[in-house]
Amino acid sequence: MILVHLQYYAQLREQAGMSGEQVNTAASSLRELYEELRLRRGFSLAAEVLKVAVNAQFSAWDRPLRDGDTIVFIPPVAGG
Amino acid sequence: MRFRLSAEPVDTGLLHDTLKHPGSGGFCAFEGWVRDSNEGREVDGLEYEAYAELAQVEGERILEEAMARYGVTDARCMHRTGHLQVGDLAVWVGACAPHRDEAFRACRYIIDEIKHRLPIWKKEHYLTGASEWVACTHVYREHEHEHKAHPPHVHHDHAKAFVPDYSRQTRLREVGDAGQAKLAASRVLVIGAGGLGCPVLSYLAGAGVGTLGIVDGDRLDASNLHRQTMYDARDIGERKVDLAARRLAALNPAVKVRTWTEPLRASDALEVFREFDLVVECTDDMRSRYLSSDAAVLSGTPLIMASVYQYEGQLQVIAARPGMPCLRCLWPQAPAPETVGSCVQSGVLGPVPGVLGTLQAAEALKILLDLPRPQADALLLVNLLDLNMQRLPIDAAQGCALHGGCAEVARAALALAREQADVDLVFDRLEDAIASGFTLVDLREAAEIALDPLPGVPSLSIPSAQVLARANELTTCRPLLVCASGQRSGHAARLLRANGLREAYSLAGGLRGMRTYS
Repeated sequence: MILVHLQYYAQLREQAGMSGEQVNTAASSLRELYEELRLRRGFSLAAEVLKVAVNAQFSAWDRPLRDGDTIVFIPPVAGG
Repeated sequence: MRFRLSAEPVDTGLLHDTLKHPGSGGFCAFEGWVRDSNEGREVDGLEYEAYAELAQVEGERILEEAMARYGVTDARCMHRTGHLQVGDLAVWVGACAPHRDEAFRACRYIIDEIKHRLPIWKKEHYLTGASEWVACTHVYREHEHEHKAHPPHVHHDHAKAFVPDYSRQTRLREVGDAGQAKLAASRVLVIGAGGLGCPVLSYLAGAGVGTLGIVDGDRLDASNLHRQTMYDARDIGERKVDLAARRLAALNPAVKVRTWTEPLRASDALEVFREFDLVVECTDDMRSRYLSSDAAVLSGTPLIMASVYQYEGQLQVIAARPGMPCLRCLWPQAPAPETVGSCVQSGVLGPVPGVLGTLQAAEALKILLDLPRPQADALLLVNLLDLNMQRLPIDAAQGCALHGGCAEVARAALALAREQADVDLVFDRLEDAIASGFTLVDLREAAEIALDPLPGVPSLSIPSAQVLARANELTTCRPLLVCASGQRSGHAARLLRANGLREAYSLAGGLRGMRTYS
């Protein structure tokens, strides 16, 4: 298990009811981690419509996780 | 009342009769007409808008001044508002006096002062289909009466033409007079005059950007006022482009304003972008954002995009140069409208678009003035709950570059959008659509329908998220998809067409559009 720091934006923040959290996870990739979170937090958006960034850099979904990573999930938003 | 604003044509014979005084030996009248060209452009007609209360008071004052100054018996003036055709009477001035000289001079004084001082704006319609607002007080000419026989008149201090004072920004070493000249020569298009557009337009007009274009098809709704700070309660129901143009003319008459009352389309966006040095995307519409990104890439026009959600926002500057990322480098396809939220569905705190729009205005001025900016292109995330700002650099090599490059991707997307342009249909009444053989398909959620049911017309209800899964229910009819704004229905109709339902259509502007105008 590793510890990662998560930040949620927009719809994800609203659905999680928090701006972020720290989680212990056994997920091996970002995609696996997001699927875990979808179940736990009830996220309606599929990974395909999101961007993900790790340690302030956009990242591919198959990137392996490392202990202490800061991960940001970003949905596109449309309000103006 | 000697001065009169009129939305209707006025009988000049009657005006003439009011000036028949037995003590008058002379009468003089001036008529101003709508002519067929202005500054080399052919004019089709025009529209006058007045700040009526102020115009009335100022008009009366001018007539009183003329009577006192030249000793005329009486003077009258009528100025038109509303739509006028070439040849129509726009303004009428008449004065009667014991002798002809006073009548001539008073007449001349009145028309000059009316042109200089009345808060009236003129929107010219050109034969090309474009239109433009011009503040009638815009060009100030020192008029002949001032410095000859008469010393400057105290009443005239307030009437001096407004001269913009940019000293607070030209004092910045990086701006200076050279920077101010750059701004005056700049042309900026602002797409969307809502929550983001209000601060963008206000700051750019205040800064003295020479030409501002405004694109917006919406009318002001009471629910806009908590975040759209250029407007007020009296403006509800008016077209935002008109309100914004009037507001900008009042804020800085030196700025030239051009307006588009319909959203840009795949067929004309590129052409419009080429007329500007910079574009600021401020709509709440994903399709407009993607169209803007494609048009920016293909025209090489820098684009500043922002969007908001509840307490957060995103900002991306698209440099529109080869090798620099575009919107599709991040999100290749427009997501379904129901997944991205809107101010209507999700709510938004008023200052949030204010902050993001202000950031857009700052970026626009930085680009126009060549001020230092971060080199790497990035997505800026702004969270106003925890006051966190985060810049995420965008790696262009991981975006459109994998699919032939931004330009190739944009060209294909524009071509597809042009092909699908007939998806959006306009109807004045839903009954007309049914009479034309369409089956209405209501894509709104049950809760929305309950609040605002379709009035007495048969329809099928399929929430937008299920439309593809239930496409088999639509194969035997010509479906006209409807939703509140036309965004979900437009997206769904394109989705259905991409999946073989070639007869799928969307009600342009949605039910909201239909309600407002009918």
